[in-house]
Amino acid sequence: MHSGGDEKTMSGYDKEIAERPATWRAHLWPLQAVTIDAALIALCLLMTEFLVLVFWGRRGPTGLLITAEETLELLHYGWGALSAVALALLWNLLHRLLGSSPGRALIHGLDKQEGQVGWVRTLRGWLVVVFLELSLFTGWLITEVEPLTFFTSFSKASDIVRGLLEPSTAVLQEGLVLLVQTIFLAFMATAFAVPVAFALSFLGARNLTRSSLLMRVVYTVVRAGMNFSRAVEPLVWALIFISWVGIGPFAGVLALWIHSVAALIKLYSEQIENIDKGPVEAITATGASGLQVLRYGVMPQVVAPFLSFTIYRWDINVRMSTIIGFVGGGGIGYLLKPRVDLGQWGEVGTLVLLIAVTVWAMDLLSAKIRERIL
Amino acid sequence: MTAVERRFGESPLDARSGGVEQEQAPEAVRIENLTKVFPSGLRALSGVSLTVRAGEFLAVIGLSGSGKSTLLRSINRLYEPTEGRVWIFGREITGAKKGELRALRARIGMIFQQFNLVRRYSVLVNVLAGSLGHAPLLPSLALRFPEEECAKARDSLERVGLRDRGSSRADTLSGGEEQRVAIARAMMQEPQIILADEPVASLDPALRHSVMKHLEAVNREEGVTVICSLHDIDLIQRYATRLVALRDGEMVHDGEPKDFDGATFRRIYGEDAQWGG
Repeated sequence: MHSGGDEKTMSGYDKEIAERPATWRAHLWPLQAVTIDAALIALCLLMTEFLVLVFWGRRGPTGLLITAEETLELLHYGWGALSAVALALLWNLLHRLLGSSPGRALIHGLDKQEGQVGWVRTLRGWLVVVFLELSLFTGWLITEVEPLTFFTSFSKASDIVRGLLEPSTAVLQEGLVLLVQTIFLAFMATAFAVPVAFALSFLGARNLTRSSLLMRVVYTVVRAGMNFSRAVEPLVWALIFISWVGIGPFAGVLALWIHSVAALIKLYSEQIENIDKGPVEAITATGASGLQVLRYGVMPQVVAPFLSFTIYRWDINVRMSTIIGFVGGGGIGYLLKPRVDLGQWGEVGTLVLLIAVTVWAMDLLSAKIRERIL
Repeated sequence: MTAVERRFGESPLDARSGGVEQEQAPEAVRIENLTKVFPSGLRALSGVSLTVRAGEFLAVIGLSGSGKSTLLRSINRLYEPTEGRVWIFGREITGAKKGELRALRARIGMIFQQFNLVRRYSVLVNVLAGSLGHAPLLPSLALRFPEEECAKARDSLERVGLRDRGSSRADTLSGGEEQRVAIARAMMQEPQIILADEPVASLDPALRHSVMKHLEAVNREEGVTVICSLHDIDLIQRYATRLVALRDGEMVHDGEPKDFDGATFRRIYGEDAQWGG
């Protein structure tokens, strides 16, 4: 058999590298690295051009200084992108001379001798610093930050604040009734979401869906559906369901339901992905079937966190349902909208206070319960 | 005949297994040319061939990462071997369909370094989980088991000295107790083979013998074949009847524990290792 280990010249690690299967994916990394670099450099170039144009004080056809928004239309995007790609390619070709580019470092890892060099002493580090600085200045101009106005023009808003501080009792009773509706709306949305999310979360967990091609497809479909329904704002869902089932709390329940399903699948499946795989192995080794492995190996590890996420979600849904009411999805937001539009700040103050107290109580309660469960 | 079998044929019969000549004992596990390459490219096993006779207490040694765990997990196909074949008492487990695979797994108990109990469930349910291979599906999903299985589970617990801990939650036990529950769970399977992956490595040295003794009892009294990865030379020489060693995924030694000496030790663990046995 084997006379010993001395005839082996390769260490285990070298062997591992040498025998790593060369898949098409493995050859894709230079492309990914250059893409990231190009994007980063392009942003730097364009932001620089933007800042130069703004500080140049360019005037439009009317002779007035042009705004930041108008400046954005003047930038040379094509040139920026083109030169960025060229620079990114150049950097990746000359990486021995210039040090790894940010993209290369991110995708491929650093070249060996670079590990010891502090990142501020590399070109890569400087590019990132410059990028952050440019972003800060550009962001300031684009979002039209005006600290002076913020600190000097409070008087214009004082009416509203005074109204909020002197709540009127006129809307109190109606508000309380709809507050109850809000809480139940959130509760029903959560209750309907739990079973659906529970069932789908197992199919949306990566570690449980590697066994066959079919399972991988199911996983991808579940993740895609989940991301879609999360990406669409609850407000938009509310509008969809209002035209579907009519104005009222049921539309709100449905809007929050579909959003909660997605959010809960995400939380649940991440929990499933993070379980200790030891018990799963142990149960599998007894000859248990797939369902039994889920029941004994997976479920006991996830039920308590699931419960905690669910209560947290209910808490979020109470907060969200006030907004849903703005568009007619039931709940206390329904009272809030017209009063905001008419400027009845006293009554708005009452409603805001009611919401605040509820949210505060829910938050306290949910924190307490979750603390006890985990 | 492979080299392993030849050597095995030459080796004297094991004095402790009651005078049964080992070449007459049936093959409990037969491994041929087993190779495992993980998706990461890591080659954990390269062409390992090994035959374990019924009733043996086989210790597997080697550095961390030498492939011990992978070897054990390839026997009951917790890991799918890349190449090679494995037979359990003459029935091939590699390539077996789902039902056959479950039936074979049910005959192989497994014990882990981290015990791997279901921590939120009672000790008794943990032991009963050992019968999942043949338990009726629907009741088992409600944590219900036939009365005779429950009685068997209580017996099993009694044998590892934890009779009155059946209703405690598993996470209230100490490490040594947890591992004994794991043994009870494996015994619940009425296994013909037990795979033990470093069963005492995370236990206090004082508790190691208590766990090893239970394994030894199972091996001697019931003739269960034990394949056990171990680090401790003392334990190997005290409990094992045969010793194989892995290095970088290849088998580099096969012999009797009593012949294990400093030279062999260095061959397995490398020149830098300290022989303290």
